Amino acid sequence: MRFARAGVAAVMVAVAWAADFAYACPSCASPLEENRQAFVDTTVFLTVVPLMMMGGFIWWLRRRMRAMDDALEIAMPENLLRDAGPFSKGR
Amino acid sequence: MPDDALGRAHGVPARREPVLPNGVLGMLLFVATEIMFFSGLISAFVIGKSNAIGGWPPPGQPRLPVEETALNTAALLASGVALYFANRAFKVGAPTTKRLLLLSIALGGFFVLFQGAEWVALIGEGLTLTSGQLGGFFYLLVGTHAIHVVAGFIILLYTYRKLSHDDLDRFTFWPAQIFWYFVVGVWPILYWQVYL
Repeated sequence: MRFARAGVAAVMVAVAWAADFAYACPSCASPLEENRQAFVDTTVFLTVVPLMMMGGFIWWLRRRMRAMDDALEIAMPENLLRDAGPFSKGR
Repeated sequence: MPDDALGRAHGVPARREPVLPNGVLGMLLFVATEIMFFSGLISAFVIGKSNAIGGWPPPGQPRLPVEETALNTAALLASGVALYFANRAFKVGAPTTKRLLLLSIALGGFFVLFQGAEWVALIGEGLTLTSGQLGGFFYLLVGTHAIHVVAGFIILLYTYRKLSHDDLDRFTFWPAQIFWYFVVGVWPILYWQVYL
């Protein structure tokens, strides 16, 4: 197990190292600093946007589910609510 | 089957409203893919712009009408605001819903027509899809958005027609609003990136 982990780590380092040889980083070869920065900015942007969308959707869904759980399932007449006491839903 | 004090039949689970109607979920997924699509286009534009030799906008190319488009941007944003108030009026069944929805549609239509006129002027000045990087990116980004505005305009017309026939429910109105808010929301980003 320990050898397997070390093997995986070695492969990952090798892959990162190989990228340098292969010029797999498109912005690394650019002489323009502005271009390099644009690559970094857009990489961050394209990573953050989907994560924010998913996070926002889950947060909104949770909030909506809680609000629906707190709401009454059916319309209740006022006299029934009154009879149910001070701890009833809707009070 | 006897009912309890709340009016529910014993042994039968009470039906409740879905947390998210199917139409809304479908539209949210669609808009999420659209956001990623526009994010990709904007990223390509930002990288293309940063890679331009001789600065941006490229020399010898027509200048984009910044001030006129600012007015058009305001019209589109106002359309989104009108739709928001139309929804509020719709929720309480107010008669102003129709007028506000119509105002939103009219402002959307104004945006499309104004942009069409702007394109005619720019093509006349020599900015075409093949005239250079600026023209290519401009028509790709702004044109893609324009297609979405036209689609949103048709959807809003459809909701207006349903409202006129007293046939509009919130499960139809809600997805239409999501799409229009997306169209309105993405435009200021495009304006900032492409025009300014």
